[in-house]
Amino acid sequence: MNKKIGVFVCHCGINISSTVDVEQLTEFAKTLDNVVVSKNYKYMCSDNGAKLIKESIVKNKLDSVVIACCSPRMHEQTFRGVVESGKVNPFNLEIANIREQCSWAHSDKELATKKAKAIVKSAVAKAHLLEPLVKSKIKVTPNALVIGGGIAGIQASLDLAEKGLKVYLVEKSPSIGGRMAQLDKTFPTLDCSGCILTPKMMDVGNHPNIELMTYSELVSVDGSVGNYTVRIREKARFVDMVKCTGCLACVDACRLKGRIPSEFDMKMGKRGAIYVPFPQAIPLKGTIDSESCLMLTRGKCGTGPLCVEACEPGAIDFKQKDKEKEIKVGAIIIATGYDVLDPSSMYEYSYSNSKDVITSLEMERLINSSGPTVGEILRPSDSKKPKSVTYLLCVGSRDETECTWCCRIGCMSALKQMYLLKEKLGDEVELNICYTDIRSFGKGYEEFYRNIRGMNTNFFRGRPSEVRNAGEHLTIDIFDTTTNKLFEINTDLVVLVPALVPRYDSGELAHIMRLSQSSDGFYLEAHPKLRPMDTLTNGIFIAGCCQGPKDIQDTVSHASGAASRASVILSQEEMDIDPQIAIVDVDLCSGCKVCISICPYNAIESVEEEIDGKIVTHAQVNEALCMGCGSCVSACTSGALQHKGFKDKQILAMIAAVGDY
Amino acid sequence: MSITDLTSMGEPQSEARKYINERLLKLQDEISDYCFQCAKCTSGCEAHKLLELEPHKIVALLKRGLIDEMVNSDIIWTCMSCFKCRERCPQKVAPVEILFALKNMAVASGKQIPGNYTQLLQSVLSTGLLQDIKTITTKDNKTLDRNQLNLPNISKPEDPMKFQTMLAKIAVEKL
Amino acid sequence: MEKFALYPGCVMPTEQYAYEMSIREVIPKLGVELIDLKNFSCCGEPIKSVNQMMTLTLSARNIAIAEKQNLDIFAPCPMCHLALTETKKILDSDEIMFDRINNLLKDEDLTYKGSSKIISILDLLYDIVGTEKIKKLVKKPLKDLKVAVHYGCHLIRPSEIGRSDDSENPQKIDKILKEIGANPEYYPEKLDCCGALLSTNLPESGLTKTGQKLKSVQEQGFDAFVDTCPWCHRQYDAKQVKAGETVAAKLEMPVFYLTQLIGMSFGIPEEKLGLKLNQSPVEKIGVEK
Repeated sequence: MNKKIGVFVCHCGINISSTVDVEQLTEFAKTLDNVVVSKNYKYMCSDNGAKLIKESIVKNKLDSVVIACCSPRMHEQTFRGVVESGKVNPFNLEIANIREQCSWAHSDKELATKKAKAIVKSAVAKAHLLEPLVKSKIKVTPNALVIGGGIAGIQASLDLAEKGLKVYLVEKSPSIGGRMAQLDKTFPTLDCSGCILTPKMMDVGNHPNIELMTYSELVSVDGSVGNYTVRIREKARFVDMVKCTGCLACVDACRLKGRIPSEFDMKMGKRGAIYVPFPQAIPLKGTIDSESCLMLTRGKCGTGPLCVEACEPGAIDFKQKDKEKEIKVGAIIIATGYDVLDPSSMYEYSYSNSKDVITSLEMERLINSSGPTVGEILRPSDSKKPKSVTYLLCVGSRDETECTWCCRIGCMSALKQMYLLKEKLGDEVELNICYTDIRSFGKGYEEFYRNIRGMNTNFFRGRPSEVRNAGEHLTIDIFDTTTNKLFEINTDLVVLVPALVPRYDSGELAHIMRLSQSSDGFYLEAHPKLRPMDTLTNGIFIAGCCQGPKDIQDTVSHASGAASRASVILSQEEMDIDPQIAIVDVDLCSGCKVCISICPYNAIESVEEEIDGKIVTHAQVNEALCMGCGSCVSACTSGALQHKGFKDKQILAMIAAVGDY
Repeated sequence: MSITDLTSMGEPQSEARKYINERLLKLQDEISDYCFQCAKCTSGCEAHKLLELEPHKIVALLKRGLIDEMVNSDIIWTCMSCFKCRERCPQKVAPVEILFALKNMAVASGKQIPGNYTQLLQSVLSTGLLQDIKTITTKDNKTLDRNQLNLPNISKPEDPMKFQTMLAKIAVEKL
Repeated sequence: MEKFALYPGCVMPTEQYAYEMSIREVIPKLGVELIDLKNFSCCGEPIKSVNQMMTLTLSARNIAIAEKQNLDIFAPCPMCHLALTETKKILDSDEIMFDRINNLLKDEDLTYKGSSKIISILDLLYDIVGTEKIKKLVKKPLKDLKVAVHYGCHLIRPSEIGRSDDSENPQKIDKILKEIGANPEYYPEKLDCCGALLSTNLPESGLTKTGQKLKSVQEQGFDAFVDTCPWCHRQYDAKQVKAGETVAAKLEMPVFYLTQLIGMSFGIPEEKLGLKLNQSPVEKIGVEK
């Protein structure tokens, strides 16, 4: 049966036509077998282009369509829609990429046109062998999983919950709140961070649609978009969550109180083995650190554990074990946040060498009134008030030897802290800041910067080479490019504003979720401009700083965006499955199971079936799980497995067509 | 169209700048264009406090192509090659290496070489070493040299003619 | 027994005899054989400012001499070590340079191959011999001498090309000193330069750098100052009085080569370690006058 094939060549403005002779190419296509119509147009992806294709399909009663244009990643979906509107199966379409793989890669017009002809010939060869494919449907589980309980995770969870969707919010630490809970005030409005965060935290804690799983971590994720099966490990807190009233008596009583460096306080303060990370924690329940607790590590705590004594409701339970829970969700949002660079790697700044050189996050804990010094600014070495504080921006940022990127929040957070230091220490405190640029890009930021300049502060433009520990104080030599003079700053407290880096465990999570990371280690977005919350895996979204450093405002926008994207999936009862997946020809399958061991998505299983009176063992592809990667197809020794969108016979025909190029 | 430094009426010397960047690429695998003038090099420069050398300014002038004013200056000879600038630069620029290039260019252009460099060079050319065996005075006022200390014979080029011929060839080669 | 060609450079064999003496005493006791080769010349680093091509050629030539004897090179002077290491890095990665330089060397029947390793005094003592071996030979530990360690510049920078210790927090000499009974302590000026390279054209400025560092070390109550480079040692030891005059301070700081201190802890007679040649007041810590 002779198919009728139509070829449509796009100029793509001058992107293709300046290097490939599109007229010649169109004429050439007409000479190919069974090509009944061949046209070209300036912008095939436009309304007019679509109209041209649709009308041609109808007029010429086309069976298959070849569009010679840009990469299928750009418009394949759109063109499938156009083909479908012409009442042809949308999978009877083949895209010939003559832009990214031809006109954009070469400059010689003659050779590029020759190559384009070969590409189109090959596409037409495949078009002969295209088969109509039908999308099957799967039911979508209308639940969402949000990993990470910082402001990004909180915002995304609330957005989804408000839509009526069930949300599982998994947080690794004992309380939600994340980095924002560690801050004192936020720029540029100087809102109290806790005051604007805790209402949202409470909403999360109280929302009927949100199941909060704190002190929990992700174990495994199986399945694909619409149908994920996720295992979560709820770590043992050794405190009964139902009995515990959050009275904090145990925290006060703990034998190790004040002995263990507190992670929440960035190790500027100490906690006990049983603790609540901060007073507004949600859930407000005690947690026992199993690595420090004397009962758990040595089997005894003095004459008896003091927390048990102090706990009226008797909520302490040393026999608790980790629990694993399995949940089913339709979409996943990752909102795991960031870490700050440890400045010990830049030894010349004396972070390892002096107690009075701290990071800006450590300073934030000193400033915070529920921090280790109750909001008093005291030098860690002698607990005296500093008379002079110096900020060093870009420590490890914009640095080819550390982190090449800008941390985006360093400038503003330093300016904010300087304002608060003036408030706490009085106008006489000498505040110095050494900067390379001041990036005050957001709404209200420039005004804030202007205000700080007007507050009796010293701005030095330059990066110091080192910070010297001169015993009682610290000495910094800085060449100020604004005055072209070298200044020697003798200061009591140095605050390093460090680079923002991906979390220490981000690689682990990337491995479990099969996420891509960009070269800086942050999670890779599907498109930096147009799809910043999507990942390259359908159904998995990223929100907040795990995708890249950003301030709270951008984080909240990003998180709401991710929630919106996720809800597109979750609000459908059924989803189309892309039919371009693997399929088993039962007659050829020998049941060797090589494909099962190869499949990275556990999408193939071995089944027994009665065929023609005999019991046959063969492979079977689970359509909902198969991602169409093709690994099984290439591994299959008998050729039983084929990829519906790229069958062996189709590919071989394409190769043969290119053969005499 | 044109860029002129109104202080010196100098225009960018793009050939010379290209030469220096190519030399940097060849030797250190890095060029000077990436400098963003953070001046971390100058803040830590061992020669800055005493002799006012500003490595970041050297890089900036190189970027502008104002090379002659540096080649003809005395300041480029103040670098003590401590390599702190190369070590700490966040953009992997190496002012110390740019200074070596500028100094080499000054010598090649026939400018008078400051200090004892000429002497050192002469000594290497004629004997293979920077200086002859010296006599030193000990704390208890004895004078002696290498031979009196039972040290083996000093190692020197065995064929001074061939050695000098080789060095003479280099004198006219550009890096 | 490990064998190395000893590459002496220029300053050590013509002037800083104490370094050579202490090396020839201490290193063989640690199980390393030093081979003297003929035909060496200056490494070229001090004349890099004049013509860097010359430096590359001279260094390559010296490496080629050792390679002809199938020996790795031990260069006790950090400036020589830097020159040889940098030359090796460039020639091993740049074919054009490799050919150019070998073209110049062929008249003397020498070829740079890239087969020899180049090690420094610190590579030798810490990485190859190791602190344990050194500790075993200690007979007279140094009685907690409070020592200021001067690593210098060329031994530890630029770290890009591979140097003998960490450029910001070098600890290897400190660790060796602890094994021989000394007490090396941190001081803020630890990584400051001695100024030696300025002795060629701006000698007074060089002496100012020297004097400033020694003055501060003295004020901080150190008993001794230790270095591993003939250029640095010449500034701190031979020119100590002049340096003191330049910064208007009376400097009385005993300055030693690391190998001298090690030799003293091994019980090697002070004569043999060249201690009589030190110009600084080494007698202050019990060295015979």
